[in-house]
Amino acid sequence: MMQAAEKPRHGMTESAVLTIVEDLIQDWGLELSTGLHGATLLVEELDFASVDIIQLCVALEQHYGRKLGFQDLLMVDGSYVGDLSIAQVAKFVDARLMQPAGIVQ
Amino acid sequence: MTTRTLFIGMDGATFTVLDDLTAGPEPVMPFMAKLFAQGARAKLRSTPNPLTPPAWVSLMTGRSPGHHGVFDFIRTEERGDDVFFTLYDSRDCRVETIWSIASRQGKRVAALNFPFTAPPPQDLQGFMVPGFVPWRHLRRNCAPKDLYDRLKSIPDFNPKELAWDFEQEKQALDELSDDDREKWVSYHLPREQQWFRIAEHLLREEAPDLMAVMFDGVDKLQHQAWLYIDPRQQLGELSEYHQRMRVLCMAYFRQLDGFIERLVTLAGPEVQVFLASDHGFTATHEIVRINTYLEEKGYLKWLDVPNTDAGRRREDSMFAYLDWANTFAYCGTPSSNGITIRKIRKPGDTGVKPEDYEALRDRLIHDLGEFRDPTSGERIVTEIHKREDVFSGSAMEDAPDLLLVLRDFGFVSIKNKHPAVEPRPTLAGTHHPDGVFIAYGPGIKPGAILDRRNITDVGSTLLYSVGLPVPSDFEGRVPEAMLTERYLATHPIEIGAATLGRRTDANAASMSDSEKEKIMAQLQMLGYME
Repeated sequence: MMQAAEKPRHGMTESAVLTIVEDLIQDWGLELSTGLHGATLLVEELDFASVDIIQLCVALEQHYGRKLGFQDLLMVDGSYVGDLSIAQVAKFVDARLMQPAGIVQ
Repeated sequence: MTTRTLFIGMDGATFTVLDDLTAGPEPVMPFMAKLFAQGARAKLRSTPNPLTPPAWVSLMTGRSPGHHGVFDFIRTEERGDDVFFTLYDSRDCRVETIWSIASRQGKRVAALNFPFTAPPPQDLQGFMVPGFVPWRHLRRNCAPKDLYDRLKSIPDFNPKELAWDFEQEKQALDELSDDDREKWVSYHLPREQQWFRIAEHLLREEAPDLMAVMFDGVDKLQHQAWLYIDPRQQLGELSEYHQRMRVLCMAYFRQLDGFIERLVTLAGPEVQVFLASDHGFTATHEIVRINTYLEEKGYLKWLDVPNTDAGRRREDSMFAYLDWANTFAYCGTPSSNGITIRKIRKPGDTGVKPEDYEALRDRLIHDLGEFRDPTSGERIVTEIHKREDVFSGSAMEDAPDLLLVLRDFGFVSIKNKHPAVEPRPTLAGTHHPDGVFIAYGPGIKPGAILDRRNITDVGSTLLYSVGLPVPSDFEGRVPEAMLTERYLATHPIEIGAATLGRRTDANAASMSDSEKEKIMAQLQMLGYME
């Protein structure tokens, strides 16, 4: 039941992340052979620099109207992750949206 | 729609330079000379730390840093035995800006290139193109949403030329080669032109009630090319390179003067014009390695930097790299000129016990006072301010515990190098507390030279000029001596309701609930970390 309930939600979140990423990169002059999808890697395929990841985080927080604590996604054991897929970002956002806004640190 | 008020910001402008460039029969800045002759002027005292972030935010909010909460480019945040460094953005500002205040009272505004205006407020009536934003993110941070596409229709619009390039900007405080310094100056000529074109376009097409644009090349040039700009350095025999740099710098100021003239002319004779800077400029002649001194006095311990590329980048970064568990007091960033004391907040934390805080701070003040020139014995740190004396307000807890003023007004270095103080190889520009405030147009007293005003006065003045009451909680005041008696009689200064405080949109509200949250990955934006 849980999985069935989460699936459509995750699908919606991933769609929202895709839309925001699409908006973000529209002027960058990227040539994407396979288009944007969940497996698209931000750094390797979309040429994201750190500032771009930050802007994506800000855009997502603005979209959802709350802080999402992205440091927990971007930093693991004190080190920054090398790359992230759109689906990974969406999964993280989904998990955070399940928590009350005040819980996110 | 008719523009009532034109505001032109000039980051770092000082009368030391402007007076020189407006003097003589053929001044470099003839239009500025006209403004001086026919307008009013005053030195403008900056924020306690005369730095772009707190100062521009004070100008835009009429409030001091202790209230608006923006103290530096980078904010330090302690987390157990780690200290993270994060970047400030508009969401960190705790009070309303004049852009929001004017908007909610039915005025249309245009604010171009002002720092810490991204992301833009949702209540804006008008246009905003924020400063300090990389070109790839300008579209998202422009307001309204369709503005970016509209800007693309402006002939020769080039977002890459217009926007903040961090790799370029961080050179402001670096030692550059002669060749790179020349490129640095050249880089700012087309950049200012881009901002001018947008301002011209919006002024002509939209005529917002309050039209504001900021040119930040003044600051950038003066950091790297003060030797060629400061009139006191143009005496005696000058090298060919010096003369070439002088010509290049003068071309910048001549171009800026032309932009100002065209904007003022386009605005029309009925428009009041104000120009201001966030701080002034002067020369710095020595490097003060404040953390080296604190280490010598036993307040901090350096962390060994690994002999790797990443380690070297970290070593050269703009924030301190320390053994936090064995550090009690430190300076986090060069631009802060501040000392932070690490306080124990919960069991298991390292740092200073709350009951020992005052004693440690007093000892620190004493030791910093004894930081002296090894040759002359002169004090290196001429002023040491406790934060409650200069940053009082609801945001004071985010301020450094001590604010330092160096004898040459320079910014400290936080590098792990010796000695703690030594002469700079070449003279450089640094911020001085006195910026400029200039007014021109109807109702302005011609030729008036006022006593020094405060940077918070600018926000009050702009709201007054555009026909709005000054919020009762603004610290700034409208400088009456700038205005004619007749104008004051017909345009009395009104004090109105207090500001709304924090913005009320859902996004900002959620930010305020979780002030401690920051995106630690912002460090990466600086390019200093792996």
